[in-house]
Amino acid sequence: MDEPTAPFEFLGLTFDWGTILSTLLAMAIVVIVSILLTRRPTVRPGKRQNVIEYLLDFTNGIIGGQLKKQQARQFGLYAFTLFFFIVVSNEMGLLLQLQWTDGVTYIKSPTASPIVTMTLAIMSLTIAHSIGVKELGFKGYLKNMLFTPYAWMLPLNIIEQLANFLTLSLRLFSNIFAGEMVLTLVSTSLAWPGHLNGFWSVLSLPIEMLWQGFSLFIGGIQAYVFVILTGVFISQLSGND
Amino acid sequence: MFGLTTLAANKLPLGNMLFVIISFLLLMLILKKVAYGPLTKVLDERADKISADIDGAELARQDAEKLAVQRQSELADTRQQATQVVAEAKASAQKQSDSLISTASDRATLINKQAQTDAEKLKEDAISNAKNDVAALSVAIASKLMQKELSLNDQQALIDAYISDLETK
Repeated sequence: MDEPTAPFEFLGLTFDWGTILSTLLAMAIVVIVSILLTRRPTVRPGKRQNVIEYLLDFTNGIIGGQLKKQQARQFGLYAFTLFFFIVVSNEMGLLLQLQWTDGVTYIKSPTASPIVTMTLAIMSLTIAHSIGVKELGFKGYLKNMLFTPYAWMLPLNIIEQLANFLTLSLRLFSNIFAGEMVLTLVSTSLAWPGHLNGFWSVLSLPIEMLWQGFSLFIGGIQAYVFVILTGVFISQLSGND
Repeated sequence: MFGLTTLAANKLPLGNMLFVIISFLLLMLILKKVAYGPLTKVLDERADKISADIDGAELARQDAEKLAVQRQSELADTRQQATQVVAEAKASAQKQSDSLISTASDRATLINKQAQTDAEKLKEDAISNAKNDVAALSVAIASKLMQKELSLNDQQALIDAYISDLETK
């Protein structure tokens, strides 16, 4: 599955057009939807405002279930942005995949790239760790992270911290990546036997629809899981439990 | 699989990571300005309004209760006052009529007494007149009888004694 990419170098750093364009598109969708839904918010909400208020309430609820009230308020914006962006990213690839003539997929789900999910995981964990240091002091933070509940669990705790990063990023990536891969397989490989092309395409359509529906569901679940795990890590590292 | 192969090739696409982080932070800023900020403000306003409304309703209820109690007690007071006024009026009317009656009866007694004394006086006057007349008559008769001038004054005492004798009899 080594797809061609369109990398370029800038200031000695490697960029990749596919990721950049997909991310930008997802963010543009998030911003546009937010603007459309939040125009002139009122105390008595209208239909559009109800939708985005429900979303905000949902993310606030995810974070509020994990953190203390004041902390939850502090991370409301982060959880909201994270959830909104991941949901849009997850579902975007189901709706739209653009492949240019050079074989590079320029538009797909950004979260189908491990680099993006790892970056998101790094962000969440950086926030969680810095909150831990801020809440407990550096010594307290180390003690809480590495020697809790017993000092001899140090090796396990180190492995746990590494595993946190990998599970957080790779869970999201693999779900979305696999979903899109199966989708591509269904739509292309089922139409493989040449002379029955039309017939197989028609046959593949309901399967594709089923899989798209399932992937929509998976995309929502994964975004929810990502945000809730972010909350859990913040809560754990700041010694809440 | 772009990401993992480049990872394996030890050529981490740091640019992508940087781009994602920076654009995510920008997205957060924009969303804060566009959606999260205004929405949170509105939600807070709503929460404040609801809690203020609940407090206000509670206060209004308490006020209403207080007013009702006050009105009740005022009503009872008024009723009591009315009863008192009526009672006072009754008492004063009673007193007035009593005093009127007693004045009237006093007057009646007085008039009665006056009449009695007047009558007595009249009677006395009549008696004394009659006495005098009787005396004069007696004297006249006696002088006629005796053909002798008897001094009225000399015989007055005697006549009085006779008359009082008569009265006692």
